[in-house]
Amino acid sequence: MEQSITIELNGERRAITVRTDATLLEVLRDGCGLLSVRETCGIGICGACTVLVDGVPVSSCLLLAPLADGCRITTVEGLSRGDELHPVQRAFIEQMAFQCSYCTPGMVLSAVALLAEHPEPSPEEIAEYLAGNLCRCGSYPRILAAVSDAARSLRQGGA
Amino acid sequence: MSVGQAVPMIDAVERVTGRIRFSQDASLPGMLHAAAMRSVVPHGRIVRIDTAAALEVPGVVAVVTGEDLRRLPGLRPVYGPQIEDQPVIALDRVRYVGDIVALVAAETPRAAQEAAALVAVEYEELPAVFDPLEALEPGAPLLHELEPERPHEGTALYFGIRPQFGTNCCNLFRMRRGDVARGFAEADLVLEETFRTPAIQHVAMEPHAALALWEDGRLTVWSGTQTPFNTRQILAGIFGLPVEHVRVIVPPMGGSYGCKVFPRVEPQAALLAYLTGRPVKLVLRRDEEFVTLTRHATVVTIRLGLTRDGRITAKEVRAYWNTGAYADCGPDVARKGGFGIVGPYRIPHVAVDSRCVYTNLPPAGAFRGYAVTQAAWASESMMDIAADALGLDPLEFRLRNLLRDSETFATGETLHDVHFAECLERAAAAIGWEGPPRRELGDGRVRAKGLAVVMKGMTTPSRSEAKVGIDRSGRVTVYSSTVELGQGARTVLAQLAAEALGVPYQEVRVVDPDTARTPFDNRTTSSRSTYMMGNAVRQAALALRERLLRIAAERLEVEPADLELADGNVRVAGAPASALGFGVLVEVSGQEELVELGESRNQGGLDPDTGQGIASSHWHQGAGAVEVEVDTRTGKVTILHAHASVYAGKVINRHTAELQNLGNIVFGVGSALFEELVYDQGQPVNPNLSDYLVPSFLDLPERMTHDLLERPGAEVHGLGETALPVIPAAVGNAVARAIGARVTELPLTPERVLRAIRARGGERG
Repeated sequence: MEQSITIELNGERRAITVRTDATLLEVLRDGCGLLSVRETCGIGICGACTVLVDGVPVSSCLLLAPLADGCRITTVEGLSRGDELHPVQRAFIEQMAFQCSYCTPGMVLSAVALLAEHPEPSPEEIAEYLAGNLCRCGSYPRILAAVSDAARSLRQGGA
Repeated sequence: MSVGQAVPMIDAVERVTGRIRFSQDASLPGMLHAAAMRSVVPHGRIVRIDTAAALEVPGVVAVVTGEDLRRLPGLRPVYGPQIEDQPVIALDRVRYVGDIVALVAAETPRAAQEAAALVAVEYEELPAVFDPLEALEPGAPLLHELEPERPHEGTALYFGIRPQFGTNCCNLFRMRRGDVARGFAEADLVLEETFRTPAIQHVAMEPHAALALWEDGRLTVWSGTQTPFNTRQILAGIFGLPVEHVRVIVPPMGGSYGCKVFPRVEPQAALLAYLTGRPVKLVLRRDEEFVTLTRHATVVTIRLGLTRDGRITAKEVRAYWNTGAYADCGPDVARKGGFGIVGPYRIPHVAVDSRCVYTNLPPAGAFRGYAVTQAAWASESMMDIAADALGLDPLEFRLRNLLRDSETFATGETLHDVHFAECLERAAAAIGWEGPPRRELGDGRVRAKGLAVVMKGMTTPSRSEAKVGIDRSGRVTVYSSTVELGQGARTVLAQLAAEALGVPYQEVRVVDPDTARTPFDNRTTSSRSTYMMGNAVRQAALALRERLLRIAAERLEVEPADLELADGNVRVAGAPASALGFGVLVEVSGQEELVELGESRNQGGLDPDTGQGIASSHWHQGAGAVEVEVDTRTGKVTILHAHASVYAGKVINRHTAELQNLGNIVFGVGSALFEELVYDQGQPVNPNLSDYLVPSFLDLPERMTHDLLERPGAEVHGLGETALPVIPAAVGNAVARAIGARVTELPLTPERVLRAIRARGGERG
């Protein structure tokens, strides 16, 4: 069974035909070629496949694509404007908050959502919010520092 | 220059924008997707396989079984890096839950998975064995019929191994130094204890992935592997090809930690591509990752002879490494663990018997720390037990026995550039060791501190080659077969080439490893790359620098000594107007690209029957110290502060060096407190990230600190693993001090800690 859905993907309106049992992860990766969306656990634990659905971080491995119909979807490909990186991405580079970077897109998107909700999070709040994003390389202390830096930078006008 | 500085990775922008492409992202037109049907029994004879239903799934192109494999002429159906014991597909027998019984190639991943699930297999179950000690008992089911003519010479074997024919022991490594009987006779006190560690899994976030393509009888494989040259050789062996007809290209990996050392999915993808005539990609599901490779579960018994004044007179070790159904590199793990268990101490009399043992469990192989985590768990726990028995402070006891510069290790090799004591003292100081050893908070919570110190070898002997080139655009390129798995290899090699050639490191291109294009390297393992490959790159870049100077000297009619390199130019020192761009010099030479080769080798090796020789051309040295809080009502352990002090010698990139230490501490926390693969009669109980926990943000120690010890003029020491093995051992020692009882088995779960507390209560009561 297939179904047609309309989504706003990284700022662009897209009409896509999907299998009714396809996950959003499959549609974004295999259908749309957005390879920053990555599977690790397949059961919504690790956060590697995180995308923003109407601004909310969601494990795309668990969301059936038809349920995303009418939603605004952001992947990390839609975060930077041209060559200009998002302040969270810049902070990740300045703090070198990654090693293999497989988890980085999901981590960055969760951080973007956190900072939209809480512009001034404490380290404990950051850790709590990002607890659903795993980094097996263990870059966690650097990620906490990067998100704090990004929060400061966004409060100062995203400079 | 960037060397020694904290500079970002050269591919940092690709990484934060998600544009970096891993091996699972590789694709080719007309590509098929593969899936595997795996055994559901731990040991059995395959009676019948029915593939009819699988073949009817729309989109399925091929379903292949061991029977098909056997019928293929010229194909060698088994492989393995040290013993050729693993079939590409089970031939007539399955040896663990997860053994591949059939492979499917289909137009879509879904069709492949659906078809694989429809392969019907009938088994005649055979008796199975899961415990390494039971597996060595007479009459235990035998996993393999090892014969004296095996292992085959000419495979990837690089050291002597000693399979015990007619048993499940696929390697017995022995170390003999002095006379342990005499050492125990000289002791005032002899202690003995047995320690255990469970199987755990690497959980690289990117699964194993390989894409195989056949063209005109030649095989190309894109694969996330730490071992491109071993993989090439093994694939050539399977398909009966000269190695030059196999090409292995390695994109960056989304983590590995040892799980991508030696072939795992490449033979299967290559077989399906061979049979279908189309490119085939195989990417494992997470549950398959858990049955593809694990860290060796171990049972280690240590007997230690001591004098009253705190000297170690003798150490006797019996170690058992549960390597599962296939040897993989288990024989080498048992060897490295065999000398690793001795520890960095002055011990005149040593006897080690280290056995690698087959059981009906998933294969175990390389894992970050490579045997030293299990070895340190046993030997560093034993050091604290000994200190307690002697009434000595654990730091003081270690300092009395630690090897110092120019002393001899149990292998007979003399050690230089030795910093064990310094690492340990710094780690102890970092957590305030001098304070009270144990503090009760009054509500059932107790705080205590623990220490551990380790030595870890680097693959010896080994060889790394590198090329550095400059083209007519003046661009510097590093050709190296060191793989990028998140450690920042591309960046560090670019920095080293850049330094020699006086260009910004960001402008250096580092090509992906490609056995057809990048020169030979042993493999990206054992924390060897920054040192071994780094030296090869540096030498190549320095040779290139000399060549540029010679060309410029001729052109400018001056002596090379009068010239200097700056900003991609060669010029007469102090005369910027004379500058000739690198690209111009390449044009002058008449070449498209000027390329120079560098090489780095280390020498040594151990006698497999005595463990005497050179185990490692230099040693990775580190210490850990932790403070824990144990809630004695629940058994829960909280790590308040974890510190690692690691000897770096010389740091090339401060960012990536620090990230190795931090990452190792985090890895060690998982291993210490909760990571454990559970099997029930060989059935994996927790092969998913819901039931198998890895550390998250919420599991970090409240404080994490570390040191990188550097010395002017020192050589680079690898950092990829050293800080990991110290953590579980230090946590175990801290918990033992806190509760006054020893937990001898990892991980330190609340249940185990509580049981130890209650057992102690029983003793006292």
